[in-house]
Amino acid sequence: MSGHAPKSIGSLSFGLMDPEEYRDMSATKVITADTYDDDGFPIDMGLMDPRLGVIDPGLECKTCGKHSGSCNGHFGHIELAAPVIHVGFSKLIRRLLRGTCRECSRLTLDENERQEFRDRLDRTRELGDDLNDVTKAAIRQARKKDYCPHCGAVQYDINHEKPTTYYEVKQVLSSEYPQRIAAAMEPDEEDDEPVSPHDLADETGIDAGRIQEILSGEFRPREEDRQAIEKALDVDLTEEDMDKLMPSDIRDWFEDIPDEDLEVLGIDPEKSRPEWMILTVLPVPPVTARPSITLDNGQRSEDDLTHKLVDIIRINQRFMENREAGAPQLIIEDLWELLQYHVTTFMDNEISGTPPARHRSGRPLKTLSQRLKGKEGRFRGSLSGKRVNFSARTVISPDPTLSLNEVGVPDRVAKEMTQTMNVTERNLEEARRYVRNGPEGHPGANYVRRPDNRRLKVTEKNCEELAEKVKPGWEVSRHLVDGDIVIFNRQPSLHRMSIMAHEVVVMPYKTFRLNTVVCPPYNADFDGDEMNMHALQNEEARAEARVLMRVQEQMLSPRFGENIIGAIQDHISATYLLTHTNPTFNETQALDLLRATSVDELPEPDGHEDDGTEYWTGRSIFSELLPDGLDLEFTSSADDTVVIEDGQHVEGTIDEDAVGAFGGEIVDTIAKQYDRTRARIFINEVGTLAIRTIMHFGFSIGIDDESIPPEAQEQVDEAIENAYARVEELIETYERGELESLPGRTVDETLEMKIMQTLGKARDSAGDIAEDHFDDDNPAVIMADSGARGSMLNLTQMAGAVGQQAVRGERINRGYENRTLSHYRQNDLSADAHGFVEHSYREGLEPKEFFFHAMGGREGLVDTAVRTSKSGYLQRRLINALSELETQYDGTVRDTSDTIVQFEFGEDGTSPVEVSSSMDEDAVDVEDITERILDEEFADETEKQQFLGTEKRPTNLSEHADDWWLAEGDD
Amino acid sequence: MVDVSQHELVPDHTVLDSDELEDVLAEYDIKKTDLPKIKRTDPALPDEAEVGDVIKVERDSRTTDRAVVYRLVIE
Ligand SMILES: [Mg+2]
Ligand SMILES: [Zn+2]
Ligand SMILES: [Zn+2]
Repeated sequence: MSGHAPKSIGSLSFGLMDPEEYRDMSATKVITADTYDDDGFPIDMGLMDPRLGVIDPGLECKTCGKHSGSCNGHFGHIELAAPVIHVGFSKLIRRLLRGTCRECSRLTLDENERQEFRDRLDRTRELGDDLNDVTKAAIRQARKKDYCPHCGAVQYDINHEKPTTYYEVKQVLSSEYPQRIAAAMEPDEEDDEPVSPHDLADETGIDAGRIQEILSGEFRPREEDRQAIEKALDVDLTEEDMDKLMPSDIRDWFEDIPDEDLEVLGIDPEKSRPEWMILTVLPVPPVTARPSITLDNGQRSEDDLTHKLVDIIRINQRFMENREAGAPQLIIEDLWELLQYHVTTFMDNEISGTPPARHRSGRPLKTLSQRLKGKEGRFRGSLSGKRVNFSARTVISPDPTLSLNEVGVPDRVAKEMTQTMNVTERNLEEARRYVRNGPEGHPGANYVRRPDNRRLKVTEKNCEELAEKVKPGWEVSRHLVDGDIVIFNRQPSLHRMSIMAHEVVVMPYKTFRLNTVVCPPYNADFDGDEMNMHALQNEEARAEARVLMRVQEQMLSPRFGENIIGAIQDHISATYLLTHTNPTFNETQALDLLRATSVDELPEPDGHEDDGTEYWTGRSIFSELLPDGLDLEFTSSADDTVVIEDGQHVEGTIDEDAVGAFGGEIVDTIAKQYDRTRARIFINEVGTLAIRTIMHFGFSIGIDDESIPPEAQEQVDEAIENAYARVEELIETYERGELESLPGRTVDETLEMKIMQTLGKARDSAGDIAEDHFDDDNPAVIMADSGARGSMLNLTQMAGAVGQQAVRGERINRGYENRTLSHYRQNDLSADAHGFVEHSYREGLEPKEFFFHAMGGREGLVDTAVRTSKSGYLQRRLINALSELETQYDGTVRDTSDTIVQFEFGEDGTSPVEVSSSMDEDAVDVEDITERILDEEFADETEKQQFLGTEKRPTNLSEHADDWWLAEGDD
Repeated sequence: MVDVSQHELVPDHTVLDSDELEDVLAEYDIKKTDLPKIKRTDPALPDEAEVGDVIKVERDSRTTDRAVVYRLVIE
């Protein structure tokens, strides 16, 4: 290391910077807008002055003497010809202008008010609330004052024209004052006498001759005279005048604000004097922050910031030249505004109302604030998230032969991702073998590190030689091998199960392979989804991943406290086929079903066929996967009662409610009553058994599976015709004006509702008729019944009728004037004119039906698109708000400033994953109560442990330890 | 006027005396201002509660039977 001792940050304080500080830290004053001379050397006191740091390798920094890479660069400064406003503070400047006196610069609050706001500030600080609320209130109060309570000067309103112009709004004598006075002297009503100039003179005490002069416009009345006339005639002689405040005026104004007044406004005058918000010096960022690039043709291309600084210096020089030459005020003001514009866009080039500064090509310049803001900005793009090493991304594909804890890693990925191996006496041979295999062979090694910290690349050429040199104390960066732990992730990472640890299985080809049962937690499918893998780089990370993050440890979702991993789709169809009618299998078949599981011996046969051959039932084959001692009773999705006694499946259908992801009863119970390892084995074996089963029976779906016999079709047609007739009847009743409206509805709404209802019923009865004609072994029916995929509604739409299409929850009503399509008459209320699709998907849709169907379908697509972006933003805000909350060791949830958010995590201190979710079970944590009572009984922990004895839980950290694990438990 | 504090769904709100308060602050090792807040105008508060008091809220809980929370009364 370069001799930098690690330091820790004690505190940070934010404030404004004193212009003197800019000058002090500046390496050089920058006076010329030129960058390089004709020979390509940076010009002294130019924007690329070598004192501002070095970017070209080989050159030496003129300030610190270091070379590029170790010199961080140094700030320079530009002396601005005239002060300009810092855009970032335009709001605070406005507030201070409004809250302080224009004459004496003091805060226009009296002592009582000041004390009140000082107290409120202290209280808010203590409560950790937003100080802005108080300071805003103080300004609001001060702004109400028409006169300064300290010097009595009149206060004017301040107008802020964004971004950086301020005006004082003054009431001055209108240029039309003679006309206004004359008009006011006219009588209000017909018979009233007009006010004569003499009367006016009497009333106001102004000399009569002077009144004449005023009336003729020869003399402008003074302030007191104006007020007297206004009072006498009840007239307003003023008009608004906007008086522009130049930055220099504002700076003078702010310089006089006393320190104690600033404290009332929550400003620490030691750190931030308000006049520092008006810039007189501009810091020039070091060249390292705005490096120039040399193009292929040898031309230099400068950074956007440098371009902006060139503009600023040019205008600055022109301003000075013009002022010295005594140019007219108008030109000076124009140049001043131009300087303000350039300094403003130097800091932020995306201010509304200001045209962005552009590059010659028309591209807006990326200036300071654009570097920081947004997703690709410094904070979100470079600090909170950045590209990482030891990571891989590729397409995923399914592999049912893997365990759910495993991931198939392509060999070319395994050869790139490495794990560090510390060579010892005991693994020396192994380490040498890796090195000998070289970087191309798998499992090989890519690098070795000698004890003197020299890193050597292993190449095809040197690997044999290098392998012999490897000694204890070396480090070998070996390839990933089977059994290594890696982290696997699919975006959007919306919950913690989106990032889980898997054990590596190195495989050929180019995709990551995963067992289909982990699709639900990742929300993955195989239509081109890609996933990321991260190889862990230290033992601590690997241990944590293995113990806490492995898929089996994440089996229970904290969202609803039940399993999120389990059988899906074909697995469920298969267990349904295996158990619903409880079919029988001969020995060969039974062994074939169980061949991929760990069961290698069949139980006693369930009976004998007539010819004496033994048979086994589907349920007893399934029972082979269940742990001993499991007792369960629940209702399945197929709506029968499932009974499991002592690990034997006695009755009922095994389907989604039994083994499915999202709360399959058996999986959930095994995970909670046994342990995660047992549940993992169970799910894996259900998966393999299911796939063998579905291959045994064969399972496919074709268009004829949704066909219904002609007599059924007739019934369906009749049902729809009936509905049409009833709709017609409704419309007639409506048109006769006899339709009675439902409570709280208009007649029109009532008609719509009744039509929708009638048509809804028509579709349902069409569905029911169709359903009656399907066999129980119809694959679509099996899938809907078992919960594997699809519903009876899908079946209805395929075989019966698609039904009413809706946009915004109503029948389709849009399109042409008073009709949906030009194929209908205007104001046709009938079913087909408003998007009722009477055909089924199997029959096919009419063109008009197809069009209405597309309208309804479009709404669905738009909805999902809008929902995902909305919920994504909501999620981001929620995470930002909650990210710093943390459960402490005392059980409380606190934020980083130790403010308590919850006195007990979740108000009950329990993890949803550990609480049994079935309602009939006790929610009270009996073990915890026992623990507490035991704690009171025994003096200390050792005594208690002596009494209790310790139960050793088998450790299971890898797929490769399963045999040992199963032997350990006696299941 | 309806007195919501008598409603069965409104948990008990009681003002802590100084001894109890000290115990609570010691238990969690916090300042009074680190507690969650409750507005003085909250209708569930007892009449005698004043700004700066600490309120003990006792709720029924399905999982822990009784969940206790403390809140600092603010304006
Ligand atoms: Mg996909
Ligand atoms: Zn340097
Ligand atoms: Zn004043």
